[in-house]
Amino acid sequence: MILINIISLMFLLDVCVCVSELGPPGWREPLDCVRASELCNQNSQCSSRYRIMRQCLSGGDKERSTMLASKECQGALEVLQDSPLYDCRCKRGMKKELQCLQNYWSIHMGLTEGEEFYETSPYEPIHFSEEFRHASIISDSSLSKVTPCSEGGKSCNPCLDAAKACNLNDTCKRQRSAYIAICTKATPPQSSLANQEPCSRKRCQKALRQFFERVSWELSYPLLFCSCHDQACAERRRQTIVPACSHQERHKPTCIELRRTCRSDALCRSRLADFHMNCQVTSHTVTSCPHDNYHGCLMAYVGLIGSDVTPNYSDSSPSNITISLWCTCRGTGNQEHECDAFHRDFTHNTCLKNAIQAFGYGSEGGPLTVTEPQATFFPPAQPPIISKPAPSLHGNAIKPMDSACVFSTCANLQDGGQKCIPSEDFECEEALLAQGSINSQDTDGVKSSAQKSAPPFHHICATVSVSILAKLLL
Amino acid sequence: KRARRPKPCSLREMEVTVSELGLGYESDETLLFRYCSGKCTGHRRNYDITMDHMRRTGFRKKGRKDKVSNGPCCRPIAYEEDISFLDNRSRYHTIQDVSAQACGCV
Repeated sequence: MILINIISLMFLLDVCVCVSELGPPGWREPLDCVRASELCNQNSQCSSRYRIMRQCLSGGDKERSTMLASKECQGALEVLQDSPLYDCRCKRGMKKELQCLQNYWSIHMGLTEGEEFYETSPYEPIHFSEEFRHASIISDSSLSKVTPCSEGGKSCNPCLDAAKACNLNDTCKRQRSAYIAICTKATPPQSSLANQEPCSRKRCQKALRQFFERVSWELSYPLLFCSCHDQACAERRRQTIVPACSHQERHKPTCIELRRTCRSDALCRSRLADFHMNCQVTSHTVTSCPHDNYHGCLMAYVGLIGSDVTPNYSDSSPSNITISLWCTCRGTGNQEHECDAFHRDFTHNTCLKNAIQAFGYGSEGGPLTVTEPQATFFPPAQPPIISKPAPSLHGNAIKPMDSACVFSTCANLQDGGQKCIPSEDFECEEALLAQGSINSQDTDGVKSSAQKSAPPFHHICATVSVSILAKLLL
Repeated sequence: KRARRPKPCSLREMEVTVSELGLGYESDETLLFRYCSGKCTGHRRNYDITMDHMRRTGFRKKGRKDKVSNGPCCRPIAYEEDISFLDNRSRYHTIQDVSAQACGCV
């Protein structure tokens, strides 16, 4: 019953998303680069220049820049700048993502061969409909089973709660077990190699990427961005991505080397550009994030996990979060400045830090280092597509890890907000727990009883959300 | 008191911590433990009926004291895939064949 509701809700939301994509005049979804190259290939002039361009980029680093400087390559670029390939974009996790990214860079690498420090992200901006969909599902997700602990709770460990929520979901459990098993599996001993790696790094990183692609963010993000009050919790958080295999290496490269390695790979290069675009510290916003979009930054950060530049928490300090890459700037000589600048975007990134803390701690509860207004968890990345104001969806209602009440947009709506005044959230939490226990305590014939005793709560939730949608769309 | 119809053999589940599994791992991580329970009365074969009768009559006559099970038993016929978890000392473990995936009367 609950499941059916969730599915139908998602279906309805999907429909809405499609409608809104068609709706607004003057805003066009960027063409994806796979489609763009198909279009280009249908045009004889475009396709011949495109072929030339790919040859220009085929050589190694040095070869490439001389090639690109040649008349032919420059001529080809000029023509291609007017083609649909020029402003095409890719979707995260789309079919043929790698092909799309390769198509993107086949033009843009030529345009930015001057080794620009920050590159334009080949990914579509995270726009409103997407976030809206995310935010709405929070109210129904199994996250509501996770009870964020109040200060001073005797065994408060949100990271453990996140693991529980994941284990209780079949997909999440399977995908998590898969990457853990791969990342902790020792490579078969080879006596000839003295310094063998403890695990298969490549396979581990692939499994991690798969985990974050296939598991919904409501279950995966809390594992990675849980808030901690003690070291045991923070150590668990640090261990989430099995850093011994995915993050650390026997050899610690310079950050310059690391960046170069990443840029030679289309996927890593794209994810890095996306990170720079979405997590770049800016002084123009309150949160230090571009467009005050925390979610965009977290998404871009997660996108890096499983790439050559896999970031992680540098220690198990519960409150003082430091993110770093496995690289050093020692001994980089005259490149030290550039090296530092690159690494500092991870180690000293207020936007990223604020985004992580806002996710884990909510706006109350935790130690927020930088002042941060309440209603900015899911601000639109672009001017919202839906033009009518939607106060209830922008305000306090959508803050996932804030308190038990806030998990459920519906709790507010159902009770006219009575139970969800922050000071009374315990009451609300209890109500939630009571609903949950109907399911979990009955051990006899779980499947059938769960159907019989589906709490009316969720039902109301789904219908209310849908009716809001209907209003928004009118 | 009304007689309850016996529930057939089926998959049940409950939430337990890894420590509670009794495998010697110490971890507060919670898992969904699935197990098999229920009656298998509908699955008796001629073997079971004969065995039941033999146990009461034939065995004694022939002086046998073998232990035999009295009828088909509700057991897992498939187990869930490997389960991985982080223990309380921050080490990962992967365990197999802990949780049932399907049950049958065998």
